[in-house]
Amino acid sequence: MSEVDDAYLVRRAQAGYPDAYEFLVQRHSGMAYRVALRLVGNHHDAQDIAQEALVAAWESLAGFNADSSFSTWLYRIVTRRALNKVTRSRSARCLDLLDDVPSPGGGAAARVERDLMVDAVTNALAALPFSQRVVLVLHHFEGLSYAEVASVTRSTVPAVRSHLFRARRTLARTLEEWR
Amino acid sequence: MNDPAESRKAANRLLSVGKLVCGADVDPLLEQVADGGQLNAHQRDCVHCRAAIGEFTALWDPVREVAAAPVLAPAELTATVIRRIRRLVHDVGYTLQITDGGAIRIAARIVAALARDSARLVPGVRVAFGRSNLSTLGAFAGDGPLGQRPGGASVGVLGRTAVVDLAVAVNYGMPVHDVARDIQRQVVAALHHGLGLQNVTVNVTVDDVLDDAAE
Repeated sequence: MSEVDDAYLVRRAQAGYPDAYEFLVQRHSGMAYRVALRLVGNHHDAQDIAQEALVAAWESLAGFNADSSFSTWLYRIVTRRALNKVTRSRSARCLDLLDDVPSPGGGAAARVERDLMVDAVTNALAALPFSQRVVLVLHHFEGLSYAEVASVTRSTVPAVRSHLFRARRTLARTLEEWR
Repeated sequence: MNDPAESRKAANRLLSVGKLVCGADVDPLLEQVADGGQLNAHQRDCVHCRAAIGEFTALWDPVREVAAAPVLAPAELTATVIRRIRRLVHDVGYTLQITDGGAIRIAARIVAALARDSARLVPGVRVAFGRSNLSTLGAFAGDGPLGQRPGGASVGVLGRTAVVDLAVAVNYGMPVHDVARDIQRQVVAALHHGLGLQNVTVNVTVDDVLDDAAE
């Protein structure tokens, strides 16, 4: 099924074939979780957000008119839900962005160094205002173009550039404190 | 430059300065490093630009490393979402077979899934999706408790009868009508042998022809 594109699966799901949507879930749940994790900073909330976003997308699928790609639409739902979560809880500073990933070899010193690095980046990310964090995560972590980020955030390319400009400066200054 | 801590402090000083001695703006250099851009002609010959880019590269490397690290979604996430969606789908009819040992009910979703999987095995079929179409057999439902479902619609008790809709895409160049007939035969046989259904209607909609170059 890997060769079937999202648009086809969306059309089938909209026509009443729920198993087509199940393929979309299998294809995109990792992305939904990853983005949520990088935006809210803890696994529990990230799982909730990803799950709710994927179910909400199913419930709204009839109204999805394919003026953007399914992934862009899902990015939008995930980021909006992440914003709601952060706004409600103000607790986006749990520092476990990578704690499920096995540490590379190289001995204890290298692992400690890596943990410090991960903490530094995670702290710096969490300290960013949400609007800057979103564009930074979507562009530098997810690899979306400026135009795609603008589409997800319902913004403009100049606005995305401006947020990214500030986000990079803030991140750079914060990372200086590392060590 | 060899000491990462010193590099970061230097990078921060650069950001405060705003412009290099050569006149180049500093912020575009940070953007260039973050986006993985190549050196331009001026930068290749300019020691100030190359030094600044080196500082920013050391600063941004940890971000790049964290961004590249795989993030594994919890194993149960996909299954949980699919389970919730299946609950949202109101097509919860059942086939019903009375045997000497009692009643056997098979969810319509299972019928659709088996039909879909059978169709996918037919040569020329690229993808297939199935949906049970039990509502078209509402007359079979009767008034018994098994015929009731949330929402008030009454479908589900169909004896050994099922109607399945299949949407399929076939590979470019395949004889579409022959493929569709093969699907009907294979699905009817699969539902008969697999689920004991004897009166099966299979509606096949071929709604796309896909080039197999992607494979």
